[in-house]
Amino acid sequence: MTSVVGKPAARKGATEIATGKAQFTADLDFPGMLTGALLYATEAPARILRIDTAPARNLPGVFAVLTHDDIPGLNRYTYSHTEDQPLLVSELVQYPGDAIAAVAAVDEQTAQEALGAIDVVLEPIKGIFDPLEALRPEARQVWPDRPNLHEHLVIERGDIEAGFAAATVVVEGEYTTQLIEQAFLEPEGAVATIDVDGTIIVYASCQAPHRDRGQIARALGVFENQVRVITPYIGGAFGGKDEAHVQIHAALLASATGRPVKLIRSREESIRTHVKRHPIRIHYKTGAAEDGRLTAIHVAAIGDTGPYVNAGAEVMGVLAASAFGPYDVPNARIEASTVHTHNPICGAMRGFGIPQGTFACERQMDKLARELGIDPFEIRTRNGLETGATLPTGAVLREGRPMRACLEEAATLSRWHQRAEFARSPAPHLRRGWGVAANIFTVGLGRNTQDSAAVSLEMSADGTAILRTGAADMGQGAHTALAQVAAEELGIELDAVRVVAPDTDLTPDAGPSCASRATFLSGNATRRAAAAIGDSLVRAASRASGRPQDELTLRAGYVHAAGEQLVSVAEVAAVAKEANLPLHSDGFYAMEYPETLPDDAYQYAHQVFTFGTQVAQVLVDIQTGEVTVEELTVVQDAGRVINPGAAFGQLEGGAAMGIGYSLMEQLHTDAGRTINNTLESYLIPTSRDVPPMNVGLVEIPEPFAPFGAKGIGEATLTPTAPAVANAVADAVGISLDHLPLNPERVLAALAGGDPDRP
Amino acid sequence: MVDYELTINGASRTVATDPRRTLLAVLRDDLGLTGTKEGCGKGDCGSCVVVMDGLAVNSCLVYVGQADGAAITTVEGLASGDELHPLQRQFVDRWAFQCGFCTPGMLMTTYAFLGENAQPTPEEVRQAIAGNLCRCTNYRSIIEAVVAAAGERSPQ
Repeated sequence: MTSVVGKPAARKGATEIATGKAQFTADLDFPGMLTGALLYATEAPARILRIDTAPARNLPGVFAVLTHDDIPGLNRYTYSHTEDQPLLVSELVQYPGDAIAAVAAVDEQTAQEALGAIDVVLEPIKGIFDPLEALRPEARQVWPDRPNLHEHLVIERGDIEAGFAAATVVVEGEYTTQLIEQAFLEPEGAVATIDVDGTIIVYASCQAPHRDRGQIARALGVFENQVRVITPYIGGAFGGKDEAHVQIHAALLASATGRPVKLIRSREESIRTHVKRHPIRIHYKTGAAEDGRLTAIHVAAIGDTGPYVNAGAEVMGVLAASAFGPYDVPNARIEASTVHTHNPICGAMRGFGIPQGTFACERQMDKLARELGIDPFEIRTRNGLETGATLPTGAVLREGRPMRACLEEAATLSRWHQRAEFARSPAPHLRRGWGVAANIFTVGLGRNTQDSAAVSLEMSADGTAILRTGAADMGQGAHTALAQVAAEELGIELDAVRVVAPDTDLTPDAGPSCASRATFLSGNATRRAAAAIGDSLVRAASRASGRPQDELTLRAGYVHAAGEQLVSVAEVAAVAKEANLPLHSDGFYAMEYPETLPDDAYQYAHQVFTFGTQVAQVLVDIQTGEVTVEELTVVQDAGRVINPGAAFGQLEGGAAMGIGYSLMEQLHTDAGRTINNTLESYLIPTSRDVPPMNVGLVEIPEPFAPFGAKGIGEATLTPTAPAVANAVADAVGISLDHLPLNPERVLAALAGGDPDRP
Repeated sequence: MVDYELTINGASRTVATDPRRTLLAVLRDDLGLTGTKEGCGKGDCGSCVVVMDGLAVNSCLVYVGQADGAAITTVEGLASGDELHPLQRQFVDRWAFQCGFCTPGMLMTTYAFLGENAQPTPEEVRQAIAGNLCRCTNYRSIIEAVVAAAGERSPQ
């Protein structure tokens, strides 16, 4: 029985947001603050022949013009293991998001004039824009010293030859997914200032304050403790602010001028520069027995990662480690190729490879069901993973019950078995169909990675607490959830916990807010910190009451013993303080892997998973090709819900993003340059584009998780696209294996044309 | 430089500025009213919506000269002292935002909308906010918050 965890509570900071007082990065102002701006390459790929900044430096009101020559430390982003991306390019421009110079000036207009006055001469070189072409032996190499095939990962279990030989039915498909933009509403930005002691303070809208601190320190050539990164309110991120964006440049400019510098990207710059969700081509072959049980899968995925490695290989790794779906597959071979081209850089975006893999996997399951004449729910249930199952990665599933629980809940909520009551063709031009998709999602960064979190928690003598967390809250609700965990464990009201947002001088390193890991890892760290303080409270209460410690519990503001309410936590805190008992504790948690995996297991195998199922009911207009989702059922395994408002928000918001992925969104490029660089041309769902949703949460507590709670921020956009595609296939009887399912593509498919042509 | 007279959240303000600047820039940079957000600068996202003489406008598309003599309400002017406007309270109570960046624009759009339609249906709210992008929610909680706020009181 909990009194705070699982109970409705408003978002921490909600009133500040609703009154306009919440300060986002662009809202900050400091005396003497300059405006920073970056000069991006006008041609790419290209060789830089000349950079002359003198005309810009001589303009009145210009305080600094920096090029690669002016970087005191390392001229590299150091997010990726392959440190291939310069902060300011010296020789080789690889994509239009490459910056060549940075300026700081009195105002925006002067900064823009300065950018225009910089003389840059570029010599265009021939680029390569097709990942399949890039893989040919004679292909032009994106990098002179390394191959276009950055990595070819293979995850293998069992014997697929034998598995396919044993199959009654083999289904094979080729799937493609599109380039996707995060489209967080707040464009990237940073403000850098110099403290009196020379410390560089950087306010940044980011997902990884401590990692950013390290990157800034390396670029400036200073120690990490001379840099302080603070996160103001963050206006969404979805993976696009996991890597540093302009915070390093802002710090360089502040350092060069000795003045505060604000650097905010325009929307066009934002779309042009940051990483995207990979377009991936997936060849998927599935074998199954007569009863629908899978015998083997062979998956070959080719991801176009752009010129810089960024998180490209990690994304393809997560795809490979999940492309089998939530199914027990005895024989599997999954290959994932990370390929360089001169297209936009791809990396972290909500889902991290799993949306693409799930699309292919779940289309395959539907084709198999159709081939064998088995109900789509039934074939998924028959193959569903169970507790103790060994995944192709070698990991053993600790808790498998949520897989089928999600299927059952989704079948009920969507009234799957009553769908015959609806007209298949409600008008001569309309066709109705239903589709289901299930998924598995990974939580955390995986084995053999740096995956830990620390928090600092302190209680005052009046029984209120301050939780200092380095985990960025980009809107997903992490701070509220952590405060609820702290309040629950300390036995106090949620309002008695104040959260200090990431400030690397004040809050310990929680690692990045990505990989659906913040609630799990920081939640566990918070529990540990709170438990230590709780121990002091119980000792103090025991001394005061004379009752043995093991009879005492902390709950809802009071110390209880055998159902009796003894004394308030506030009173006990005062006693503890008086008695010199510690009321402060740091909590630390590193992902636990007590199980030993076989030697041939995937080195980064995850051990915590969530499951989900979605059902789409669609209407296809066969005259216009338009697909309307009439209703979307979204069921997600959360382990345990900490905050219902936040959980529903993540489910619904994720599914809305999934609708965009299914039907609308696509970032187009022309010779590597993104061409729909505005929110007018890159369309994300508006209030008129999202369907009514039936939302359900499945709560089966996860071992090792804080109160059983797992991360659900990313998982829920994952099954949407295959559910919609399966529904369209059901409606019109034509296979649609390429995203997005826009009217042009649907019409082409209906006309018997090649739906692969975007 | 030209002098402009604006009534901002009920108070009269004189701003001497370049007529080519936007109302958004003047609100944020000259008047320090940073509650109004810039998400795109092109009128595509609705994050910068303020109410000008009763109409919801994208303040990034309004030149300050066009606002001369107008009465402007921004998100900072919605609450009465410490008492939140029903829209604000409902947005807070119903998780009608996650990151909150679209919220000021969403509040001002719906504030103006309730001035025209005091008791809207959910479908009418859905249409009314179609010009305000939110990337975190599916708009359901926003629509419910607006309907609940309308049910609470007759808007001014």
